[in-house]
Amino acid sequence: MDNWLNILLILTVMLPVAGALLVWLLGWSGRTDIRPLALAVSLVTLGLTGWIISCYPGGGKELAVSNFSWLGGPDSIVNIRFSLGLDGLGLWLFGLSSLLTLTAILVSWEAITERRTAFFGLLLLLETGMLGVFTARDIILFYIFFEFTLIPLFFLIGIWGSEDRRYAAVKFFVFTLAGSLLTFLSLLAIVLWNYTATGQMTFMIGELVAGLQQHPMDASLQLWVFLGLFAGFAIKVPLFPLHTWLPLAHTQAPTAGSVILAGILLKIGTYGFLRFSLPMLPDGTAVCTPWILWLSVIGIIYGALVALVQTDFKRLIAYSSVSHLGFCMLGIFALNSLGMEGGTLQMINHGLSTGGLFACVGMIYERYHTRQISEFGGLARRLPFLAFFTLVFTFSSIGLPGMNGFAGEFLLLAGMFQRGWSESPEQLGTQFMWIAVLAVSGVVLGAWYMLYMIQRIFFGPLKEPEVHLDHGHHDHGPASPAGTTAHGTSAHDSHAHDTHGHGAIATLPPGVPDLKLREFFALAPLVVFVFWIGLYPEFFLRSIRPNVVDLFPPAARDLYKNYGDPIKRPYVEPLDEAIANAGPAHSKEAAQ
Amino acid sequence: MNIPTTSIQTFAALVPEIILVATATIIYLAGAFFPGKSRPTVLALIGLIAAAGFMLCDDQRAETFTKTLPALFTGPLAVDLFGHSARWFIVIAGAVLLLLSHRAADDEQGPEYTGSVVMMLAGLMLISAADELVLLFVGLELVSIPTYIILYVGRRGAASQEATTKYFFLSILSSALLLYGFSFLYGLAGSTYLPNIARALQSQFAISSAVSPLAAVALLLIFAGLGFRMTAVPFHFYAPDVYQGTTNANAGLLATLTKIAGLLVLARIVVGSMPGVESLGWKVMLAVAVLTMTLGNAVALWQSNIRRLVAYSSIAHGGYILIGVAVGLAQLTLARDDVSQPAQAINGLGTSLFYLATYVLATLGVFAALVYLESNGQPAENVDDLAGLAKSHPFASVCLAVFMFSLAGIPPLAGFWGKFSLMSGTLDVGAPFSDSRQQLQTWFLALAIITMLNAAMAAAYYLRIVAVMYFRPATKEYPATGGGYAPRLAMVLSVLLVIGVGILPGWVMNTADQAGISVRSTKSSGGTATSLSADGLPAGAAPIANGPAATVNVVQAVSPTRESDR
Repeated sequence: MDNWLNILLILTVMLPVAGALLVWLLGWSGRTDIRPLALAVSLVTLGLTGWIISCYPGGGKELAVSNFSWLGGPDSIVNIRFSLGLDGLGLWLFGLSSLLTLTAILVSWEAITERRTAFFGLLLLLETGMLGVFTARDIILFYIFFEFTLIPLFFLIGIWGSEDRRYAAVKFFVFTLAGSLLTFLSLLAIVLWNYTATGQMTFMIGELVAGLQQHPMDASLQLWVFLGLFAGFAIKVPLFPLHTWLPLAHTQAPTAGSVILAGILLKIGTYGFLRFSLPMLPDGTAVCTPWILWLSVIGIIYGALVALVQTDFKRLIAYSSVSHLGFCMLGIFALNSLGMEGGTLQMINHGLSTGGLFACVGMIYERYHTRQISEFGGLARRLPFLAFFTLVFTFSSIGLPGMNGFAGEFLLLAGMFQRGWSESPEQLGTQFMWIAVLAVSGVVLGAWYMLYMIQRIFFGPLKEPEVHLDHGHHDHGPASPAGTTAHGTSAHDSHAHDTHGHGAIATLPPGVPDLKLREFFALAPLVVFVFWIGLYPEFFLRSIRPNVVDLFPPAARDLYKNYGDPIKRPYVEPLDEAIANAGPAHSKEAAQ
Repeated sequence: MNIPTTSIQTFAALVPEIILVATATIIYLAGAFFPGKSRPTVLALIGLIAAAGFMLCDDQRAETFTKTLPALFTGPLAVDLFGHSARWFIVIAGAVLLLLSHRAADDEQGPEYTGSVVMMLAGLMLISAADELVLLFVGLELVSIPTYIILYVGRRGAASQEATTKYFFLSILSSALLLYGFSFLYGLAGSTYLPNIARALQSQFAISSAVSPLAAVALLLIFAGLGFRMTAVPFHFYAPDVYQGTTNANAGLLATLTKIAGLLVLARIVVGSMPGVESLGWKVMLAVAVLTMTLGNAVALWQSNIRRLVAYSSIAHGGYILIGVAVGLAQLTLARDDVSQPAQAINGLGTSLFYLATYVLATLGVFAALVYLESNGQPAENVDDLAGLAKSHPFASVCLAVFMFSLAGIPPLAGFWGKFSLMSGTLDVGAPFSDSRQQLQTWFLALAIITMLNAAMAAAYYLRIVAVMYFRPATKEYPATGGGYAPRLAMVLSVLLVIGVGILPGWVMNTADQAGISVRSTKSSGGTATSLSADGLPAGAAPIANGPAATVNVVQAVSPTRESDR
């Protein structure tokens, strides 16, 4: 069975590239509308992705493993292999990539009017990059996909972004590249260490993990190699002092770019920590853990506080990303099962909720051409369905029980408390507890800034920026500044699709239309998963868990080795066991 | 000491070069009789194809190209894998170059221009095959002298005169330095034949086991002479002025051919034939590499003129190329001092050769695109002139973007693999767990980190060009037709090569690696070392067989590998 599945996986990863080339070929003349083709490609990719995921057997196994010689052979200097496969770590991120690409294509349907061919081609190209990152089993192949995602996004931000797009695109690219080049050095160092230790030149991640666990590097070396990996991954995440490129890139990017950047590309950083740092460099990870935890929690609080004072809603959500990714990092570096499951789940949750939020505010922007919160009010009356979806994603983002955010945040915070209470070395005990407590306050702040924004935009007396009423959508090229009147060319068809906005508010004067069918389909799949994860997280956790439980024990062991034995607290065991045994379904009750 | 004898075989081995020189002569002559009638590019390409065809026949006789090609030693020539693969690469790059310089000169001077380009290619191929100082120098001059003509042909402006004069005098000076260095080598060995020099230096080192001062002087002088051609700091300063003052096609020629010449000679003499000075050599190379790339990249950030920017970028790439040479020399130092060295994973010189190839392909592409855009005598002078190019010339701008990303080292393009192999080599010596000595580790680790930071810095100005093309509205009108079919073809060829090597770099990378090994291992006159290299034995483990003591070393060095082979 695996035989055809691995072919299927390669096809799935490569299909978007083929689609992109086809889009560009057909779009060359400029006459054909290539959007249906792009949509079809992304739908087929999503279907194939779903099919492959449904075949995943669980239990930490690898699915659809393919392994082809790419450069040289075993006797050659470079034995880099084209090897793809899926395991529990990448499984859901892989699926999320396909899902959010569909959303991105749908939200760009009318928003992008200039150079459409190039835009949709680049989106598909980006999709291959993302699918490849989460399935690559060769360290260099991973790096190639990792870097490759920069090129399409660079163009997406730079060509179709807002007023400051050029600066944002270059800053995004150079910042990310600078970090990832150091990561590259570390990856090479890992390969060469493995070669020195085992005499075997291999680039396969699995073999490298095995090799480095059998022959661990010296502690000081691990620290340096870890810091090299950290440079690239932490910028990508982004961790607190390295986050400055993110709000800029998010604010300037077109909606589709923001959705994908927030939804997927940031996760490559956390995924990198999970895939490389933890299993390969447990000692380096352990030494840095307190520092990374502090940076994460500072990021949580700082991101939340800065989000609180934003006047631009896209910027607000961008800072909320900084805060939320802090939670992911916190969970991963709690270095226990609960925390890491929560952190991994939270990666997906953030992709769904923040991806959805960016899509929603993109739709608002598309209607009004302004991002200033102060110019809005009471939009729930004008756009009830859009308001509904925005609220769903907001609640998911602030972790309302029953939605996905709660499951992830609860697990990772529980993990952090467990680390702080019962599993922390003597000298770090207080610190870890403080980190956990501060992180919880970050949840409160998160609810505050998000609800404050929602309240200002959607509730209260109706207040709308001026728009030409007969234009359902705008036509903003890079040159047209935000806020100018749009000159839509096909306003009639927007009303044809406007099946949701009618009837609800008959008394309002005519204005911008509510959610269109296309936009509904961009958001609805995300909502399905928001509730699915929220109500039955175990479905997702059971494929994640077997992979993460392998990851943390070496690092946790080295944490004790470096910072001393764990504190013995008398009534710890029952709590610990209760949470660990009960699993997340019951853990909600434990919280109440 | 064996004296090379020139035989009919020597001339047979030189047939490709002879074909090219004959082609050039015909082009010159035909130009005198049929002035301004037809373009000589076709004729030049035919000559190039004929040369390639001859080499192909030669390859047919050898089993396969990469590993078991027997080195042909005949008289002052050594057609080993190094020379042979370099010749092939020159033919390919030369074809692109001829296409991009199709309209580089006026109609009347077309034959002179094209003939000179062909002459330069012949010179380069001679350099790759030469195993003797005089022949090497003749090859170098065969590259230099046509360059003066090319720079001068059809250019009357003050800027181009200044550029030409500057280049002329500095080139003469560098040749003089090089010759001075050669004279020291001759003084040390009493022979101009490189294997003899290698043997002489080896036996001197065996006696004193220290870097001989005369050899050190020779090394420094030779490196200074070649530094001009590789635009290494502090011999780089002419490049920006000259590139800016001349045409796009000429700048493309200078940026690629002279660098190839520099590295080939450096590899042949310093890496291949100067045992005993490696420990000095890697220090010099490393220091110059760091200075060169940092200066090139830092200054490139502030340039507004395109050719000036590319000049600084090519200076920076000269620095990257030297990294591999430094690594190669460090590996040789380690192998010399400690016979029990484990086999090196990757040959330093090979990484340089591979990097050079990726650099040349991308740079040729950049200039092909610029030539393509410059039709009607209106070249793009400033980076800002490229604004809005994505709209008016979508294909040319895609190609330029590909070249920029490749030069910046972004996967999956050729430049990424160049950086990959360079860094693999550097960490092979520099990683704290490698068996090399503390001193080397520190230096090479620092080198790796500095290189990566440099690469990030370089990305900023490459991206600026891409950003200008794609993110800004047009400020300058370009003719819709572009600059004709030949530069377009050159551009397409380069882009295909850059992407092709990016997707399937393995074969080229392996060939470069083996070629780097062959430079040193074929130096001993006997068949032993050659057959060893045919077994794929890394260079580090194959010291020069010379005298009984060295023979013992060879046996010791070889035996572990042999055992592991079984």
